[in-house]
Amino acid sequence: MGSPCELLCETDDESLAWRLARHAVREAERIDRKFSRYRKGTVVEALHESRGRPIRLDDETARLIEFGAKLWQLSEGAFDLTSGVLRRAWNFDEGPVAANTSLIPELLGRVGWQRVHWQPPTLTLPEGMEIDFGGIGKEYAVDIVADHAASLTSCPVLVNFGGDLRCTGAAPKAGAWQVGIESIESFGEAVRRIELRSGALATSGDARRHIEIDGKRYGHIFDARTGWPAPEAPRSITVAAATCSQAGSYSTLAMLKGADAETFLEAEGVQYWCLR
Amino acid sequence: MQLKKPIGSSLAAATCGLLGVLPAAPVAAQEAPDWEIDSSLLYYGEDNNRVTDGSLMISARRRLDEDRSYNLTLTVDSLTGATPSGAVPANVVQTFTGPSGGGSYVVQPGETPYDTNFLDTRIALSGSWNQALGDAMRYGIGFSSSDEYDYLHLGLNGRLERDFNNRNTTVFVGAAFGQDKVKPVGGTPVGLAPMFGEDDENEEDDDEDRNVDLTKDVVDVLFGVTQVLSRRSLLELSFSYGQSDGYLTDPYKILSVVDPLTGAPVPGLEDEVPYLYLYEKRPDSRAKQSLFAEWRHAFDRDSMAINFRLMDDDWGVQSQTVDARYRWNINDDSYLEPHLRYYTQSAADFYRTVLFQGDPQPDFASADHRLADMGAYTAGFKYGRRTQRGEFSIRLEYYRQEGDPSPGSAVGDLASFELVPPLTAIIAQFGYKFRF
Repeated sequence: MGSPCELLCETDDESLAWRLARHAVREAERIDRKFSRYRKGTVVEALHESRGRPIRLDDETARLIEFGAKLWQLSEGAFDLTSGVLRRAWNFDEGPVAANTSLIPELLGRVGWQRVHWQPPTLTLPEGMEIDFGGIGKEYAVDIVADHAASLTSCPVLVNFGGDLRCTGAAPKAGAWQVGIESIESFGEAVRRIELRSGALATSGDARRHIEIDGKRYGHIFDARTGWPAPEAPRSITVAAATCSQAGSYSTLAMLKGADAETFLEAEGVQYWCLR
Repeated sequence: MQLKKPIGSSLAAATCGLLGVLPAAPVAAQEAPDWEIDSSLLYYGEDNNRVTDGSLMISARRRLDEDRSYNLTLTVDSLTGATPSGAVPANVVQTFTGPSGGGSYVVQPGETPYDTNFLDTRIALSGSWNQALGDAMRYGIGFSSSDEYDYLHLGLNGRLERDFNNRNTTVFVGAAFGQDKVKPVGGTPVGLAPMFGEDDENEEDDDEDRNVDLTKDVVDVLFGVTQVLSRRSLLELSFSYGQSDGYLTDPYKILSVVDPLTGAPVPGLEDEVPYLYLYEKRPDSRAKQSLFAEWRHAFDRDSMAINFRLMDDDWGVQSQTVDARYRWNINDDSYLEPHLRYYTQSAADFYRTVLFQGDPQPDFASADHRLADMGAYTAGFKYGRRTQRGEFSIRLEYYRQEGDPSPGSAVGDLASFELVPPLTAIIAQFGYKFRF
């Protein structure tokens, strides 16, 4: 998942704790292996090497693709499963000044869900285009692991994959899970505390991954229509929703609204916390 | 921006398609409140119309972030009633002057003399600032103050603690400094001098001395350690040392001077006070040291805490305290907590129930029952219940204190009286705390 993952459960039953941990690790690893863009032999690699031939997807992959297609539609094209190629212009892995924005116009020719032929469960990806589950995969994994945990025990569990999290009930002793929203100035310091009794929280932000060009800060969530991050987006957006997939979709889509992030979340009537 | 139709239901449908099912429970999240308010109303009532205290406390604590918080606490006490004056009962009618020098009171034969002019309102304000220094260290600094008609207290305190051993061990040090001003009503009596009547001529001579503010400085230092023994057990050990200097005498307490054979009060020097009483006098310094140990244990559902304190001072008072609480968590929202406490102390070296006529005058003497050989126990319970908005609690306790009613000094007539009368008190408290 590319980030620290944890599962919290307050129980005296050590065997239950182990069982939960084993299930969580197994599921997280399975999802990571299956959808990672870094691994060999994955469905992602198969699509990238399909050279425009239709690929019939397994049920789980088809469901994730369908979810991503829906977000593309709901965001009017700002969110796009094929926008991963833009990373070649925005290389976050190589330090904060690795942007080569002159590549963007050319790369945009390889981005756009409208170019893809999606006839569930068959996907036809034009040659040169890529699929990236980065925006939805981790949240999906949190939901799957949380659902699994709930089927194993009625004891409340919190599943936290790199700050995207969901609980299956309130923490027994404290009455709520205490979740800190990390400061945008210093890592590891909470500026707000959220008490979570049920549901999920997801956070999008540029605190940990960003690029600076001419003193201006750019986050890692790109508008697939422009190839650039939305201007004047909040530095961090945390949204609460019933599932991590919903919370993550809201925070990502709000990020793509830029200056209008809060207006969008307000109109959606969801609970959110923005840091600017 | 033109507002679009909310995407909520489409997103929910898409999520349902992704996960197969949506959780039945809606999201429940809220930003943790920054303010915590704790309030209580306390009634303390002693038997036989002795002291009654009504006390109102309100405390506000604000968390600025994970590492910093501050607290302010205001307490208002209203005390009324009577306290034992230190004089002993007699077979005759006794007359005393009130502490204000105005108004005398009469005590019937066989009755314990109480100073009935006891009435006071006390206001106390304290505050603290607490902050973490990195991951393993915390400090707190605070002040305390209180004001009543004849007493003013100002204090500063600080505490530093540090975690070791994977947070299983915490070492703490603390220090407090207090300066108190005592301004006895009617002036400061001269220790071991006779109590005079209200129109006392000598009062004029002493006026300069008697209206000087008296001070008392108190320094306390503390160090200790808490150690996690297991997942369920915690042990705390601490040692504290306190040094008080200045005016430590109770200006309203007196001693009876009696005949060493009959135990009858000795005639006084004046008509207004027919018998002889001397004002008490205590040393002007006191050094205390105490050892404290507490063990806290969590059971599956319940928890308990038991602690011991050993105190020893250079006045000769040694005390032992045992205090135990058991918290029975009836359900998720309510608990019942029985409480038992036992206290015992030895008398101060200069404690006397009476002074005998003809004996050489001691350097110090006090008949204050709080310095006598005594034992006390407290038994009670607290019931607490969490509600939607906060938590309320009710505490009811019974307190009983007993000294030696007929000590060796009970000669002659005195043998038939209760020289150190037992004390019974009821404590009732209602508390409410909430956050916002």
